[in-house]
Amino acid sequence: MSKNVIEVDHLKIRFNMATEKVDNLKEYAIKLAKHQLMFQEFIALRDITFHVKKGEAWGLVGPNGCGKSTLLKAVSGILQPYEGTVKVRGRISPLIELGAGFDKNLTARENIYLNGLVLGHSRKFMEEHFDEIVEFADIEEFLDAPLKNFSSGMKARLGFAVATVVNPDILIVDEVLEVGDMRFRRKCNERMQQMLDGGTTLLYVSHNIESVKGLCDKAIWIDHGRMRKIGDSQEVCDAYQNDQDETIRARKEERRARLRRQGAKYDYLVVGAGLTGAVFAREMAKAGKRSLVIDKRSHIGGNAYTEDVDGIQVHRYGAHIFHTNNEKIWKYVNRFADFNHYIHSPLAVYRNEMYNLPLNMNTFSRLWNLNTPQKVREKIAAQAAASGITEPRNLEEQALLLVGADVYERLIKGYMEKKWGKDCKELPASLPDGLPLRFTYNNQYFEDCFQGIPVNGYTALVGKLLENTDVMTDTDFFVYRREHPEMFDRVLYTGMIDEYFDFCYGHLQYRGARFETERVEMADYQGSAEILDTDQEVPYTRVIEYKHFSPETEMEHPKEYSIISREYPEKWKQAAEEYAAGKNAAPLDGVTVFCDPVRDEENRAMYEKYRKLADREKNVIFGGRLGTYQHYDMDQAIAAAMELAQAEKLRLQKKRVANVSN
Amino acid sequence: MKLLNYRIKTFFKYRDLIIELVSRDLKLKYRRSFLGYAWTILQPLMMMMVWVIVFSNILGKNIENYPVFLLSGRMMYDFLSQSTTGAMKSVTGNSALIRKVNVPKYIFTLARVTSCMVDMVLSFGALFIVMAVTGAKFYWTLVLIPLVVIQIYIFCCGLGFFLAQFNVFFRDTEHIYGAILRALLYMTPILYEITRLPENLQIFIKVFNPLYYYVGQFRDIVYYGNIPGPRIFWGGWVIAFLMLAIGVWSFQRSKDRFILYI
Repeated sequence: MSKNVIEVDHLKIRFNMATEKVDNLKEYAIKLAKHQLMFQEFIALRDITFHVKKGEAWGLVGPNGCGKSTLLKAVSGILQPYEGTVKVRGRISPLIELGAGFDKNLTARENIYLNGLVLGHSRKFMEEHFDEIVEFADIEEFLDAPLKNFSSGMKARLGFAVATVVNPDILIVDEVLEVGDMRFRRKCNERMQQMLDGGTTLLYVSHNIESVKGLCDKAIWIDHGRMRKIGDSQEVCDAYQNDQDETIRARKEERRARLRRQGAKYDYLVVGAGLTGAVFAREMAKAGKRSLVIDKRSHIGGNAYTEDVDGIQVHRYGAHIFHTNNEKIWKYVNRFADFNHYIHSPLAVYRNEMYNLPLNMNTFSRLWNLNTPQKVREKIAAQAAASGITEPRNLEEQALLLVGADVYERLIKGYMEKKWGKDCKELPASLPDGLPLRFTYNNQYFEDCFQGIPVNGYTALVGKLLENTDVMTDTDFFVYRREHPEMFDRVLYTGMIDEYFDFCYGHLQYRGARFETERVEMADYQGSAEILDTDQEVPYTRVIEYKHFSPETEMEHPKEYSIISREYPEKWKQAAEEYAAGKNAAPLDGVTVFCDPVRDEENRAMYEKYRKLADREKNVIFGGRLGTYQHYDMDQAIAAAMELAQAEKLRLQKKRVANVSN
Repeated sequence: MKLLNYRIKTFFKYRDLIIELVSRDLKLKYRRSFLGYAWTILQPLMMMMVWVIVFSNILGKNIENYPVFLLSGRMMYDFLSQSTTGAMKSVTGNSALIRKVNVPKYIFTLARVTSCMVDMVLSFGALFIVMAVTGAKFYWTLVLIPLVVIQIYIFCCGLGFFLAQFNVFFRDTEHIYGAILRALLYMTPILYEITRLPENLQIFIKVFNPLYYYVGQFRDIVYYGNIPGPRIFWGGWVIAFLMLAIGVWSFQRSKDRFILYI
């Protein structure tokens, strides 16, 4: 049982500071005569109780002016308690503020002595340790320059070096390290760590929460002079940070509400609350621009929308697995959601035979019982040669040439024909999702470096992106534009580009899909998140079982039931109708979705015509999958939205420059 | 007894700090000036010349060796004025330090008075130069100078403590005290002999002006070559310790509240 080195009990610090400071006789006399002599008290701290054991590191966190520094001063004996007690055992080295005890007219050399002596060292001691201090502070060249010419970082270095020249029993550090450069901060952290290991007790104040977490075992969160939370530094810091975030959010919300009440005009009307719209609105908000995001659906998130059904995140519009090679994008999305480490490796079932996907050695060895890549290559080559095809004219010929008849018959033909609703002979040789083929035992579907699924779903992620933005769901753009044309300057339109122009050149086509979702009363329906059904006799193309997207949630809360979706191919026309009607599916209802654009020649030519019209729209930006008629992975959608925002910022900058030069 | 022991201990612990603060004061005073420490002597000399030119015909007509007469009085006054003015600002002026480190606050006041004392002792050089130049006699009584210096030093410490703590609470003190000092300059027989004043004013000064005791003693020793009379000699000691007691008491009483006001 180690002894307490600091014991603070029911500490109360009171300042006699009134609304104004009375520090001259005239005012004093006047106030005395008027009987209003500053007895308005200010309680800087109240009921602070904590005991610090030898060798512990305590962090103090809290907003500016909450009393952290006051508490440090009370502990170091500068302030006397008004009530309660402060007991301290041992030598204290205080580093309360930047440049404490420096005289700016003296040189660094003189200041080192003065500072050391103020801290209670003898001159002899300082002489002995002078070189050590100079070396640590790294200021040899400037020893004889007056301190007023020093940068704040240099002063902090000097202060820290002097204060820690001898291992004090208690070291008090109050935000002095924030100004130092990285090298110095690391040096200081090392020194503090050494001192902690050597039994020094540390009281540490910093607004850098991470450094508090890293250095301290315990923490106190002080708010308006009271202790809000005391205990493990991780917990306290997290609680404090959440509270801070909440406060900031509330304040921003208040401001937004005020502007809304005033009916202030929006800088941007963002049509569609999917990833594109959300990222764009957020990036523009950072640039100080206010957006209104509307969506005709009753929820945000676009097709990435997920909802919690009995504790399982259900992807309403088809499975979304985040994968990217772009580290910047990965870091970006991780700021808004915690991602798990889900690795997608789907399977295919063909009449009860299970095959791994994408086509790889696991698939081939199961199919042919061949164990090496050489044997497989030879097998495929033999089958391809047998087909007699040299120039593939359609998907069937392409597949036969690439993977041979066995694979084609079992795993490709049925699936592709169901999916596209056409015979494989009629499908073009190159399809967007192609035929990934590997000669390794590797079941990973995506080869990107970063992969995962947000633990709390994509809706939460998009919600976080839209945290500081006004959102109106169940709002149709064309209706809103008619009714409130004065409410916005510019538009980001992520809806269907053909609809924007009233289908004047006809409908652009999409591959449609219909998801029938149901709850099944068994803990595990199929043992994998995604299983394709490649049998033509089976009407659906695949079955998604959502709980397998987040095994960690299932581990924590095992469920005796499961939610699955069957995906049925659907004619785009019906999908278009449902989309146009803005139909909102209730959970477990079937829902029809536009998937990939059909980018055949006819559709592409039509899109080009629409695009020419779009270019003429001065104040409307077209973005997203439907707005630009192209397939986007989620990371691509985010990157594209960021680019759009960047272009807008550039435009604004140019406008500003033009205004200035006028 | 324990408390006294503790006080003495801390005093010794911070002894080096006092020395450092004193040398800081002295260093900073003439830092970057061309003549440096020579100003300690040059400054009183120049000041004296001005005063002699202005006043020798008005007030100093019948005074033999007016420069020495004037300078011997003026030096005491200057020490009192500079040390106590400095001491008055010693707590507020070091607020940056006091707010951050727990050091005995009297250190700053003490160091300020001490540095002025050292300054004064050095400026005695000017006095001796003037004495030599004007052909004044060097009496054996000069060896008694330390006795007077100690007295006025103790007195100024006491007054400094009092002013330092008072100024924390009422910043007006600085202005008021400036006026008091000006009055003191003319109410003390520095420029003139006390016998030139009307009888009742003489008594008033002898009773109420503490500086009179130190100027009187110093002038006896330096200018007249007398051993100071017992009244001003013992009076000087009593006043010095009385002032010290008042200063220390008032300082101790309020030192914990300083932090709230600086």
